[in-house]
This record gives sequence, structure tokens and C-alpha cells, in this order.
Amino acid sequence: MSGRHVALAAPAAVALALAAYPAVASGYGVRATLQVFMWIVLAGSWNLISGLTGYVSFGHVAFFGAGAYAGAILMSKAGWPWLAAALVGGVAAVVLALVIGYPCLRLKGPYFAIAMLGLNEVLRALVSYFEGLTGGGNGLSLPTLDATIPIYYVMGLTAVTVIALTYLIITSRFGLRLMTIREDEVAAEAMGIDTARHKLYAFLLSAVGPGIAGALTARDQGYIEPISVFPLATTITMIVMVLFGGKGTVWGPVLGAVVLFVTQEVVWARYPYVHPLLFGAIIVAVVLLMPRGVLGILQIRYRLPRTI
Amino acid sequence: MASPPVLEIERLRKRFGGVTAVDGVSLRLEPARIYGLIGPNGSGKTTLFNCITGVERLDEGRVHFGGERVHGLRPWEIAQKGIGRTFQVIRVFPELSALENLLVVTRDRLAAARERALRLLRFVKLDGLRDEYAGNLSYGQQKLLEFVRVLMRDPALILLDEPAAGVNRTLLNDLLEAVRQLRDRGKTILLVEHDMKVVMGLCETVFVLDHGEKIAEGAPGVIQTDERVIEAYFGR
Amino acid sequence: MLGQVVISGILSGALYAMVALGLALIFGVMRIINVAHGPLLMLGAYTTYFLSTVLDVNPYLTVPVSMAVLFAVGVVLERTLVFRVVDAPELSSLLLTFGVSIALVNLAQLLFTSDLRSVEYLTGAWVVGPFALSKTRVVAFVFAGTLTGLAFLLLGWTKLGKAIRATSQSREVAMVCGIDVQRIHLVTFGLASALAAAGGALIAVIVAIQPEMGQTWTFKSFLVIVLGGAGNYPGALLGGILLGLIEQVASLFLTTQLSEVVAYVLLVAILLVRPTGLLGGRQT
Repeated sequence: MSGRHVALAAPAAVALALAAYPAVASGYGVRATLQVFMWIVLAGSWNLISGLTGYVSFGHVAFFGAGAYAGAILMSKAGWPWLAAALVGGVAAVVLALVIGYPCLRLKGPYFAIAMLGLNEVLRALVSYFEGLTGGGNGLSLPTLDATIPIYYVMGLTAVTVIALTYLIITSRFGLRLMTIREDEVAAEAMGIDTARHKLYAFLLSAVGPGIAGALTARDQGYIEPISVFPLATTITMIVMVLFGGKGTVWGPVLGAVVLFVTQEVVWARYPYVHPLLFGAIIVAVVLLMPRGVLGILQIRYRLPRTI
Repeated sequence: MASPPVLEIERLRKRFGGVTAVDGVSLRLEPARIYGLIGPNGSGKTTLFNCITGVERLDEGRVHFGGERVHGLRPWEIAQKGIGRTFQVIRVFPELSALENLLVVTRDRLAAARERALRLLRFVKLDGLRDEYAGNLSYGQQKLLEFVRVLMRDPALILLDEPAAGVNRTLLNDLLEAVRQLRDRGKTILLVEHDMKVVMGLCETVFVLDHGEKIAEGAPGVIQTDERVIEAYFGR
Repeated sequence: MLGQVVISGILSGALYAMVALGLALIFGVMRIINVAHGPLLMLGAYTTYFLSTVLDVNPYLTVPVSMAVLFAVGVVLERTLVFRVVDAPELSSLLLTFGVSIALVNLAQLLFTSDLRSVEYLTGAWVVGPFALSKTRVVAFVFAGTLTGLAFLLLGWTKLGKAIRATSQSREVAMVCGIDVQRIHLVTFGLASALAAAGGALIAVIVAIQPEMGQTWTFKSFLVIVLGGAGNYPGALLGGILLGLIEQVASLFLTTQLSEVVAYVLLVAILLVRPTGLLGGRQT
């Protein structure tokens, strides 16, 4: 087989295996894999804005939460079917990204980060304020429904879409232009690139996945409350996964999601109280020792194409 | 009616806190000529470049490019109108390859862009390194890359900030020849330079700045003997 | 009514100013956004809590001790971790301090649990004319004002202070002038941590102490810096007071949650209109 064929066959085989998995797996197995898909969606989406343009989005979980609430409200108050509600969740996240991104992306690096840090707090406050609609601190319950297996497939499909989208962007000139923002924004602008518009596009694209994933998760859990959908831990985990796996690459976020999820499950099973502390330590270690991530380092060392 | 000058700057003023970096500078650039901008360190040359290209906002004055107002526009809008520039400190995109550095600045169809990019790389003898990360190139190579990157968009006005700095003689001659060819094709070039031999040999008209003001303007030979210029550089 | 609000605003504003000054120093001198600032404040609060309950002393006496302890913690953090990202791209320093902040908060959760603690000392308010001034707030104001004043004296009149200011203006020039920039970074981070600790120590008697208490303080300190201007130290003072006033005024009309939203929108709006901060600072 030529190299090209192997490159296509391997992921295809994995995809087939994953598609067949629910037929043979336990409930836990399906749930765990569903979670991995979710993390791939989150990490892969974060990579689109922060890995490519270098604009660190610290509040990205806001899109997850927005999608979760939008979807949940439609499902519980308006009786929408979950698939449609999930898509609307994605739309809601994009709208939020537009509202936030349009002003905030004009801010230079550190100020953008500060603004995004505050986003979470604000959203949580808004959710509490609009209690009538969102159930406030008490949360929102959804009618019972066991849809774990269909959700598994939809989440899996979303993960594949995010990976494919990343591949398309990285191999396009649009992607190159996004990278120039990371390399040298002043020079990029001097060369005629409308950096504000490009950042916004990347930001919007990076919000869709989390929005859909949020709504799907809400359906799967059957219940959401502010703390469960806007936790800082989700943002941290997203970031660590991408940093570890390799930001700015196609498969880096996937690698990071898989490795760190498995690590998290193992550590959490044995040492439940230590794992957030461990994550803080991992962030520090990755930032200091391997800021490019596993695939990033391989890419530079062995001159691999960016599409790994 | 005569066509408008390529660039017209009227009484441009730029302040940074208490310091007036550019103080009421006016100048005109006609098409198909090579201009020089000289002056002692800190005289405002790079600031002037930054104001023309939109990297800095002017406090006072106007800038017109081919009759169109450009002051107040974003840098990318100005670049798209046809003004290209290089930087004093080289700003190639280090993690893009040499070829990608050129491809990324144009929106032309990929095939045409590639052809143009490869031609430009051949012109500066960098086509063998086209897939190398720009950050791995030598100083001189990066300088050449930045130079041809500006040319990718075929700008009518090219601003070069210290193109000769750190470049060896052979490379320099190639560069200067390239600049002359651009002029012959109708382009206007304005360069900031400290190397007087380059300025005298290449430029048709030279502007001299000192403490943000234009103190002289004219042919290189005339400027060399201008009292105010000598004073600015060497003191009284 | 308005007078009461203004006074409350100034009282809390001084605290904001003091804590934010620490963050401003780190930002100005090292160009680092210290996301771990809030957790440092939290540790200061816990130090005061433990000292005053275990040793049964007046919590206000523990303020200098908290400051000293956190000065040491700050120095250790800088010497082991932070110094490595001073010259790195922004992402690295942001993520590093982020990682440190997560680790500190969770360490606190492990060691102290999430149970709410508090220190009972002064209660009630002094009544001055038509105004009721919460005693703990007034004492905090006095401390904050004094400490901030001392900090400015340090910055303005001592050799160290001048070195700090020189380094924030230009590191290269400072080095050329013979200033040991590494040492300045170390001291600045320590000082900033001490100021945060003082804030924590002072509010230990006002609010409930728990590991996550520092998060809003980090955010509000950023807000102060934005209001006052990056690298503009006196600006942090005004910014703090301004924030205190805005918060109190907003709370007249809005619930506390919405006033946070107001603060956030304000932050973004100011940054858009005046990227160098309201009072004009340095653009990064």
C-alpha cells in the first residue's frame, strides 16, 4: 500500500471499529468512549482558535455551557427532539461567539485572555439571574430518555467533523493566514491580511463543536446546573489536552484527549482527590518542558507535515 | 490635469507622550522613481513609515496614495491598496516555509500564486530552500525573503526599511539591481538607509529628517553638501 | 443614601487598589499576567485564619506575618517556575500562572477542605452622622491605605523602588545601568504576593474563607489595571477606588450578579476604546 493509502486506511479502520463498538461493549465502555469523543470535540475546537492563531481562549467552556442551556431549554420547555436541539445548541454557541468575539478579538493578546477569563463568571451570573428560564441554581431537568447509543454516534460524528475541519483549514491558505496571526500579527496586517476578520472566523468555527457537544451532554445526563456546564476544570482540561498533544496540528488534540482522558480515569479511580492538583502540575510541566506538545515536537524534529 | 503623485504627505505630526517623533513633515513621491529617507538615529524615519502604512495613527496631517486618502485606514487596507513595506527588524513568519511566506500574502488562485512565488524565489536564489522553515534561514536569506514577499502583491509603492543592513556585498548588489528594475517597471520606492554609499548610488531624490522635521530635500550630490544636513549628522 | 454608597465605595476601593497594585507591579516589571494572584490572596487569608485561631491572637496582628509568608511563597514560585517564562510568548506565562493557580486552589482544598471558615473579631459598625461604617471595613481601609502608601514610598524614594520602576520602563536599559534584573523580578513577585496576602488577611474577618475565594479578586484586579492603565502604578490606586465606587453604585440598582456583568462589560468596553487603560498606561 502506498503511504497515502495507509494514511487513509488507518483512521478509517479505527472509525469502523468505533462504529461497531456499542454492539459489543458494556454501558461503561460506551459512556467512556462517548466522553472521549466529547473531549476530542472540545480540544479540537479550542485548537482552531488558540492553536492556530495563538489567541488563548480561556473561557471556551462558555460555548459548551451556552449550547447545553440552549439545547436543554428547548428540550424541556418546548419539547424539541434532542438532535434538533443539539444543532440549535451549536447555533447558540456561534451567536455567543459573535457577540463576545467581535469586540474582544480586537484586544491584544493578554487583554483578550483577561476578557475571556471573566466570561465564565458573567455567564454563570446571567444563568442565575434568568432563573425562570434556566432554573437558576437549581438546574434544569430533562424528560427521561435513554439515548446514550444514538448520542454516542452523533458525538462521534461531531468529533470526526471537527478533525476533518481542522485538516481542511490547516491545508488551506485560510489556515496559513490564521497562523501568520500567531507568528507575527503586525507583519500579517502589513501584508494585507485582515486579521480581525480572520480571528473572528476562527473563533466562530471554534464555538460550534462545543455548543453541540454541550447540548448532547445535557441530553445524556438528563440534568444540568450552572456548575456542571461552566466549570473552569473543563477549560483547563481542554487546554492541557491540546498542549500535550500538540497545538496547531490535526491529531494533536485527539492524542491529548485520549491520553489524558485515560490518565484521568485511572488516576481518579485510585486517587480521587489529587487529580485536579495533578492537572495543575501537568499544565506547568507541559508549558515548561514541551510547549509544542508531542506531535509538535515530532513535527519539528522529523520535518513532518503539519497535517499529522 | 496631471496624474496625482504616488504618495502625498501633508504636515504629518506624530507624538508619543511628550516626544514629537514626526513634526510637520510634508513630501511628495512621483511614480517610477527611487527616493531615499535619511537622518540621524531617532529622527523619525521608521515612525514616518509606520504612519504611512497605518501601523501608527497620525495625530495631525494627511496621507494620500494615488489621490486616495489612506490616513486612518487599517494597515491591511493600506497594504491592499498597493503599499508594501519591509521592516527594520526582519519579520518573516518563522514557522511557515519560505514558499508559504509568499503564498500567504496573496489571494490569487493557488496555481498562479505558486508560479509567481517560485519565480520570485528563483530571482533571489532561494528556490532551493522553498520548503525550509523561514526561521531557519540565515539573516541575509530572511532579508531577501522579506523583500520578495513584499513584491508578491505587486505594490505600486514599496517602502524599504534599511534593506542594506547586515547584507553582504554580492547580495546587496543583487538587491540594488532588483530595486532599479522595479523602478524601470514603473514602481516607486522609498528607502530608509544608513549606508550612504547605497543612498548616493541608488536614490534620485533624498529627504533628510532631523528630530522629526524635514530639513532638506534634493539630489544626493546636493544633500551631501547641505550645511544643515552636515550639522544634523556631525554637530556644529 | 448616595453618601453612604460613596463611602462604602472608597472603603472597598482601597482594598482593590492595594491588591491590584501587586498585579500591576508584576505586569509592569515582568510583563506577565499573574492568574495566580487570587489564590495568593486566598493563602494569605488562610494564614491569618490559622494564626489567629490557633494562637488566639488579634487577626490584625497577623497581617505582617501573612505578608512575610506569602512574600516567601512568591519568591519561591518566581525562582522555580515563573522566571522561566518571563521571556516566553504570552501564552506560556498565562498558562503557567494558570496552572499554578489551579494547583494552589486544589492544594488548599486538599489541606483545608472546602468548608467555609471565618474569623470573628470586630463586628458592627461605627455610626458617624447619617452614615454607618462597618468596623472591619474601616480598619481594612486604614491598613490598605497605609500599606499602599508605604508601597508608593518604596517605589518613589528607595533605591530598590527606583530600580523596579526603571525595569518596568525598559529592561534592557535597566540592565545596562547595572540593575540586577533577575533580582528585581524576584523581589517584585514577592512584594506583589505580599500585597495580595495583606488583602487576604484583611478580608479574612469580613468574608467567608474558602479555597476559591481568590478567583473574583484576580478578575477584579485586572479590571483595576485596565481602569488605571497598564504599568501605571498610581493609576492602580485610582482604578481601585473607581471600581469600588462603580460596584457600590451598581448594587443600588442591580443585584450583585448583574453588577458583575456590568463590571465585565465595562472592562471590555474600556479596553476597546482605550487599549492603554482609562488613565493611559503603556501599550504592551
